[in-house]
Amino acid sequence: MSTLTKVPAVDENVAVKLPEQTLRKWLRDMLLIREFEARSMQAYQNRKIGGFCHIYIGQEAVAVGVIAALNDDDPLITAYRDHGHALARGMDPRHCLAEMFGRIGGCAKGKGGSMHMFDKAHHMYGGHGIVAAQCPLAAGLAFATKYEDEVINGGTSRRVTACFLGDGALNQGAFHEAMNLAGVLDLPVLYICENNGYAMGTAISRATTMGHEITAKAAAYGMEGVTINGMDVITVYNRMKPLVARCRESLRPIFVEIRTYRYKGHSMSDPRKYRTKDEEQRYEALDPIDKLAEHLKAEHGMGPDEYEALAKDVRLQVRDAGKWADASPVPDASELYTDVYADKWGPYLGTTPPPMLGEGPGPGPTEPPQPA
Amino acid sequence: MARIIEFRDALREAMSEEMRRDPRVFLMGEEVAEYDGAYKVSRGMLDEFGPRRVIDTPISETAFAGLGIGAAMMGLRPVIEFMSWSFSLVAADQILNNAPKMLYMSGGQFGCPIVFRGNDGAGGQLGSTHSWCVESLYANVPGLKMAIPFDAYDAKGLLKTAIRDDSPVFFLESERLLSVKGEVPEEEFVVAFGEALVRRPGTGCTVVSFGRPLYFCLEAATILAEEGIDCEVIDGRTIRPLDLAAIVRSVRKTNYCVVVDQSWPFASVGAEIAAQVHKACFDDLDNHVVRVHSDDVPAPYSYDLEQQMLPNTRKICEAVRSVTYNA
Amino acid sequence: MSIEITMPRLSDTMETGSILKWNVGEGDSVSAGDAVADIETDKATMEMQVYDDGTIARILVPEGQTVEVGTPIAVLAEKDEDPQEIAAASAPPLEPAPAAQEAPAAAPAVPAPDPTASAPTPATAAPVPAAGAERLRISPVARRLADEHGIDVSLLQGSGPGGRIIKRDVMGALEAGRETAAALVPSAAAVAVPTTPVELSPAAAVPPAGVRLEPGLVPLSNARQTIARRLVESKTTIPHYQVTVTFNVDPLLDLRRVLNEQLAAQGVKLSLNDFLIRGCALAIHQHPEFNASWAGESIEIHGEVNIGIAVALPPERGGGLVVATIRQADRRGLREISAEAKHLAEKARTRGLTIDEMAGSTFTISNLGMFGVDHFTAIINPPNSAILAVGTAQELAVVRDGQIVIGHEMSATLSLDHRIIDGATAAQFLVSLRQLVESPATLLV
Repeated sequence: MSTLTKVPAVDENVAVKLPEQTLRKWLRDMLLIREFEARSMQAYQNRKIGGFCHIYIGQEAVAVGVIAALNDDDPLITAYRDHGHALARGMDPRHCLAEMFGRIGGCAKGKGGSMHMFDKAHHMYGGHGIVAAQCPLAAGLAFATKYEDEVINGGTSRRVTACFLGDGALNQGAFHEAMNLAGVLDLPVLYICENNGYAMGTAISRATTMGHEITAKAAAYGMEGVTINGMDVITVYNRMKPLVARCRESLRPIFVEIRTYRYKGHSMSDPRKYRTKDEEQRYEALDPIDKLAEHLKAEHGMGPDEYEALAKDVRLQVRDAGKWADASPVPDASELYTDVYADKWGPYLGTTPPPMLGEGPGPGPTEPPQPA
Repeated sequence: MARIIEFRDALREAMSEEMRRDPRVFLMGEEVAEYDGAYKVSRGMLDEFGPRRVIDTPISETAFAGLGIGAAMMGLRPVIEFMSWSFSLVAADQILNNAPKMLYMSGGQFGCPIVFRGNDGAGGQLGSTHSWCVESLYANVPGLKMAIPFDAYDAKGLLKTAIRDDSPVFFLESERLLSVKGEVPEEEFVVAFGEALVRRPGTGCTVVSFGRPLYFCLEAATILAEEGIDCEVIDGRTIRPLDLAAIVRSVRKTNYCVVVDQSWPFASVGAEIAAQVHKACFDDLDNHVVRVHSDDVPAPYSYDLEQQMLPNTRKICEAVRSVTYNA
Repeated sequence: MSIEITMPRLSDTMETGSILKWNVGEGDSVSAGDAVADIETDKATMEMQVYDDGTIARILVPEGQTVEVGTPIAVLAEKDEDPQEIAAASAPPLEPAPAAQEAPAAAPAVPAPDPTASAPTPATAAPVPAAGAERLRISPVARRLADEHGIDVSLLQGSGPGGRIIKRDVMGALEAGRETAAALVPSAAAVAVPTTPVELSPAAAVPPAGVRLEPGLVPLSNARQTIARRLVESKTTIPHYQVTVTFNVDPLLDLRRVLNEQLAAQGVKLSLNDFLIRGCALAIHQHPEFNASWAGESIEIHGEVNIGIAVALPPERGGGLVVATIRQADRRGLREISAEAKHLAEKARTRGLTIDEMAGSTFTISNLGMFGVDHFTAIINPPNSAILAVGTAQELAVVRDGQIVIGHEMSATLSLDHRIIDGATAAQFLVSLRQLVESPATLLV
C-alpha cells in the first residue's frame, strides 16, 4: 500500500496578504537550501564529506515556512536532516559546509559533522543523531525559557521552542515520554513532525499505528494536533503563525504534522528502492520552489530574469561557501582534548568557542546571575 | 562549630544552599516534591522553594533526564534525581549520548552543567534489577565527572561542588548510607573533585575504595591491625577525575595495593585503578594489585546470598592478607 | 571552463564502481539533476546525476569498465564552450577491457581493527629474569631494594608463591647481615666508637720468627666492594682539602667526669665523642654549608642535622665499616645522643643496622682516639660536604695564661669539599666548634 495517496489541498482559507519582500526572501532561502543540498551531495560523492549526510531537498517549504512564523530568539532544535533548518535560521552556509568538511571554521569546529549544526547566536540547538533524542531536549529548552522568563526574571514567558522530528521518531519512546512530560508541565513547545512518509526505507504504514492520522497521537497526550500541507511555503506560514501564537500565550504544547516529501534518499547511500518512480515524479511536480516562483510571477510580477538572477546569486553564494570551507584549516590536534570538559584538568584542555562565533558568547556564564 | 546530621540531611543542605545561592538551580525527579522524596532526601524543599523549583515528574526517565539536559544547554543548572541509578539505564541514551558530549559536538557552544544523582549499589534484598552499581558502566565515558561520597561531610561538600561544576556530574549516593550520621560544619565549605582522602593512615598495605565499601574496608583494617597488618585506607572520592597521585604516594610507602569496588569485576573501575597502579608503581610493588568486587553474578534476593556477594569485610581481609603474603 | 565528471562515491564504503550503462552520449546536452549513468557499487546499483548544465564533450570510461572512485569518467562542456574543442583537449578514453573485467571486491572500508585485546596477562606478576642467569622470580620492589643495597639475589631464598623473592626476603637478608650492604662508608682508616675497644689489630704484632705470610687471593666481600667503590668515587670526584685545629679539652674532661659520677647510678656513661657529636650539631646551625650536598646545578642545604658516626665491624660480621646515623642531633640532649650512639654501635656489631639506621647522615665524625692516634685525615662520606677526624686527648705541656702547665689537648682535622666550603668558612666553623668544646657547659643547653 503506498503512502500519502492524498495530499491535503492548499489551505486557502487564511489569505494573509504577505509583502513581496518577504516572499522573495523565502524564495531565496528555499533556493539556497536546494543549491546547498545539491552541492553537499556532490561534495559527498567527491569524498569531501564523510560519514552520514541527510539531504533536505523537497522539504524546503517546511523549514522556511515554520521558521518565518517564529521569533528570532525562539529556540529551535531538530534531528539529523538539519541543513535546511540551519540555513533557514540564518546560519552562514560557509560555516555549515566547513563543518561538513571537518574544518575549524565549521560551527562545531569540525567535531560534529553534518548532523550537528549548532549556532548559539541564532538560537539553533542542533542537529541530533539519535532518532527522537531531541524531543526531551526540546522539552528542556521550553522549560528553560519559561523558567528564565518567569522564575528568574519574574515576568511572563515569551518564547516558544520549535522541535522538528521525522515520522520515524513517532515510534521512539523518547518522543512519547517528551510529549507526555510537556503536557504535564505545560511547556511552550511545538512538536513539528515532518511527515515525509518514510522512516529511512520503511513506509509509515508499515511502522506506525495510526500512521494515516498521526494527530491522534497528540490527542492521546491532551494536546492540540494539526495537519498542514508542507509543499507550499505560504500555507505552512499561514497555518503555523496562529499555532505559534497560541503556544506562546497558552504555554501549552502543540503537535503539528506537516506533510512533505523528500526527493532524495534517506541519506547518501540510499538507492530508494522502496519508492516507485511514479510516486517520486508526482511529488516532484509539487516542488515547493516552483510553486512559490509561480505565485511570485503570477501575483507579484516577478520576471524570469529576476528568478534567474536570484538562482545565480544563490549558486555563487554556495560556490563561495564551498571555496571558503575548503580553505578553512583542519582542526589542530589539540582540539581532540578541547571541549570535553568545561574546565582544564588531566589531559583535557578546557573549552573554547568556535571561531564562527567570533567574539560571540561561549557556553554561558558560570557565576550565578545577579539579582535583578 | 560541628553538628551531627544524617547523610540525607547533608544532601538536602547542599541542594538547598546552592538553590538559595543561584536561582538557576532546580531539583527535578520522581516524588521529590510532594512526597518529600522517596528517601526523604528532599524533605521540606518544596515548602521552601515552591513547585517551580522542586518539580515532581512522571515515571519517565528518558524525558526528564533529557529535559534536564536541554535546560542545561540553555544555561540552567538542573539537579535531576534518579530514584535509583538502576533506573538511569532507561535514560541511557540521554545521559550518555547527550550530556557528556554536548559541549564537544557543538564545538564549545553549548555546555551541560547538570547533576544526575541518586542511590547506587545494593540496597538490601532489592533484587537484581534494583541493585545496580553503575560506576563501572558509566565511568568509561569521557565528558562526565563522577563522585561517590563516603559520609555526611563529603555528601554535602561534594554535592555543592557538583552543582557548581560546569560539566555534567554523575553523583552516586547509597541508600544504605542515607541514615549514617556525621559531623558537618554549619559554615560554608566545599570538597573539591580529584582529591582523595586518607581515611586511615597506615604503612602496611594500601586499600583504595569509594563510597559504602569503605565502611567494610575500615572494619577490615581494624581486624587486620590485630594481626599486625597496618592498612592505609584511601577514599578516592571521585572516579573522574581520579586522584592517582594520592594512591601512588601510598603504594610507594606500603608496596601493596588492594582496590575495593562494589561493581562487577569485568571491565570495572577496580580493573582500571589496578592497571593504573601497575603502571605508575611497577617498581614499588611487592605483589600485583588485588581487587575485591561484588561477585560476577546478578544480585540475588536472599539475604545471606546477597551478603556473600558484596565486597564484604571478609573478602577485604582475605585480599589484604593475600597481597601481603600473610594468607 | 570544462567540468570533469569523476566516478562518484555513492555509498560511504564505496571504493570502486563500474559503469553499467551510459544514458547519454558525446554531444548530448544535459541539465543539472539529470541521471546520466547507472553505476554499480559495492552495495547497489545507483543512478549518477550531473550537477551542472552543459554538453557531454567526451566519454572517458566506457560501459563495463570498473574504476576507482574519483577517476574522471566524462567531460562536460559548459554553455559557452565548444564541445569539440574540449573533446580534443581531454585525455583519450580508456580502452575497454578485453574480457569482462570482474569488478574487484570492494576493499574493506573498515580499517584493520587495532589489536586492542592483548594476550591475557598472567594472574601472577611476571618474574623478572636475571640478566644472563636462569629465570629468577622476584617482585619489582624486592629487585629494586636488592640493587640499592648490593645484595646478591641469587643467594636468596624466595618465600613468595613459586619461590618468588619478595620484599621481606631482601629485608631479612639485610637485617641478618649475611651480606652487609654497607651502603654508606666513611674514611679509609678504621675507626671505632670509643666504648668497648675492638680488636682490630691495634699495635703491630711482631710475627714469630721463621713463620712466613700466607700468600693468596682474598675474595672481596660485598662490604669491601662497596667501600672500595664509594671511596674511590669520593676521593676522585670531590676536591678535598684539610683544616686542623687543636682543642683544650681540660674543661670538657672535667665536665664529663662530674656528669658521669653523678649519673652513674642511672647507667649514663658519656664519652668524649658524645660531646663532639652534639658540638658539631650545634656548630652546624651557625654554618649551614656543613649540612649540605653538592647538587650539580646548586648546593642543597638539608633541614635535618643528622650526624653519622663510623663504626668498625668485627671480622665475623664481614669486617669493614658502617656509618650509623644519629638523627636530629641538634635537637637531642647528651644523654640521648650517648644512649643512641651506644645502641647503634652495639647493634652494628651484632645484628647489623637497618637501612634507616644507616641512611641520611648529613655530616660524619670519625674517631681514632681510642687507639692513641694523634691526628689523621678522613675521606668525605658522600653526599656530605665535610668529615671530622678526631684524635686522642693527649697529656702535654701546654701554655695557659702565659705559663707552661700540664694540660690535655685533642686534635681534630676537617676534610672539606672545596666546591661547597672555602677555607675561611672552614676556619669559622672550627672557631665555633672550639668555643663550644672549650666552654662545654654550652653543650648542655
